[in-house]
Amino acid sequence: MISFRNVCKSFGSKAVLNDVSFDIEDGEIFFIIGASGVGKSVLIKHLIGLLRPDAGDILLDGDEVSRFDEKAMYPVRRKCAMVFQHSTLFDSMTCVENVALPLRKHQGMKPREALAAAKERLAQVHMQEFGDRFPAELGDGMKKRVAIARALTLEPRYVLFDEPTTSLDLVSARRVDNLIRELSEELGVTSVVVSHDLVSIFSIATRIAMLYKGGVRLLGTPADFKNTKDELIQQFIHGRAQGPMET
Amino acid sequence: MTDSAFEIERQDSGALAVVGRRAMSLAAAAREQYGVLVRTLYYVARGKMEPGMLAHQMYEIGNRSLFFLTVVMGFIGTILCLQAGIQTKRVVPDLSMLGASYLELLVRDLAASIVALMLATRVGAGIAAEIGSMVVTEQVDALRMCAADPIDYLVKPRFLASIVMTTALTIWSGGVAIVTGTITADVVFQVSPHTFWNLSLVHASDLLICIVKCLAYGAAIPIVSATSGLSTFGGSEGVGWATTRAVVNSSLAVIILNFLISSAGFFAFHGR
Repeated sequence: MISFRNVCKSFGSKAVLNDVSFDIEDGEIFFIIGASGVGKSVLIKHLIGLLRPDAGDILLDGDEVSRFDEKAMYPVRRKCAMVFQHSTLFDSMTCVENVALPLRKHQGMKPREALAAAKERLAQVHMQEFGDRFPAELGDGMKKRVAIARALTLEPRYVLFDEPTTSLDLVSARRVDNLIRELSEELGVTSVVVSHDLVSIFSIATRIAMLYKGGVRLLGTPADFKNTKDELIQQFIHGRAQGPMET
Repeated sequence: MTDSAFEIERQDSGALAVVGRRAMSLAAAAREQYGVLVRTLYYVARGKMEPGMLAHQMYEIGNRSLFFLTVVMGFIGTILCLQAGIQTKRVVPDLSMLGASYLELLVRDLAASIVALMLATRVGAGIAAEIGSMVVTEQVDALRMCAADPIDYLVKPRFLASIVMTTALTIWSGGVAIVTGTITADVVFQVSPHTFWNLSLVHASDLLICIVKCLAYGAAIPIVSATSGLSTFGGSEGVGWATTRAVVNSSLAVIILNFLISSAGFFAFHGR
């Protein structure tokens, strides 16, 4: 289980997160939504120690990971992987080398063994024939699939997706949705998804938290969001330009 | 805004506050660079290295700088010898010691320092831009997710490669400057190569100072540049600032190290 407890974070004089608290249960597909710049990506990066909170605690399976140092975060990052917004494949490595890197570093596998295992991972996302290509030679959708293969290569229990369908065509976006759903249903993986994609949100989310002005505006199921009378949330989920939302 | 807030605002924009902020910023940058240096030395001491990374960085830093440095040092050798000859002839007509003084200056100071300043622009900018781009595109965060410390993975190979290749390039570039200086002395001032190649003023201590400078510059450039790259924020504008900062700070580091090592050498070898 993941718990955010009174998390606060500022950059300079700008308070991004202010007393954010909620829990994410095991096996959930939990969406964090909100306008651009509201702190969604900032919040999930706290979970894996890429950012540190100014105040508050973050608990992962009962461990206060927000107090861990960089070395102590390595085991946390083994069980909690992240798919970044822009894929973030390493330009100087081929796709298969990208996927093999976590195996070599986290598990200490020898390069040859890691590459063999990485090829299997690439096959699972139907990218085995592109293993020897460099990221610059691939389209956005293909890079995203390689990034997902890299994140899943250590068989994590938690996966954080930062806008996984942004910049993808509709077909590729729905494939990513299906993959997230399969991870949850077949492997029991807990997915935390930062997204603006309304189709994804209302097709696969088990629960949703909406961030607004540094706090949680509403936490509930997709049905709760559809039925709420909060005009600000209605404006967001219907994508209306006019309304009370300040951006 | 309240009166006291106005007062703080007025004080903040005062000359002393500006100097204080600048001094604190410099101290913070120095502390950051020291931290990167210590962590790099720790990983160097551990000894493990990604296969092929060191050779790749040596090629990038050394081989790719070879043509640039050959051209620069060729011209600098010519200009130095020409100016030294003209100035000397104004005082004394005898140019028999032109080569001896030129070689002494080149070995003790100019070869290593000019090579380092050129590397600070070419290599320093490259390191800061590459690492800065990785920071803004979250590749550095992705490395941390893979249990690969960016200092170990990105900085260490550049640090070792820079030390080796700065020394090698200084030897090569010094040779180029000697050749162009010799030709200039022969053609312009009719000083024969035999007279020009006078090593009477070059001592073992000069060679030692030259080697110490090569090692210090070779270590400083990647550390300063990588620190700039790792502290990049924002988008492409941030990468631009990081690159500029890397070139300025690396050049400054070379000049300061030159002063410190030259001073230490002067006092250590009886103020020659």
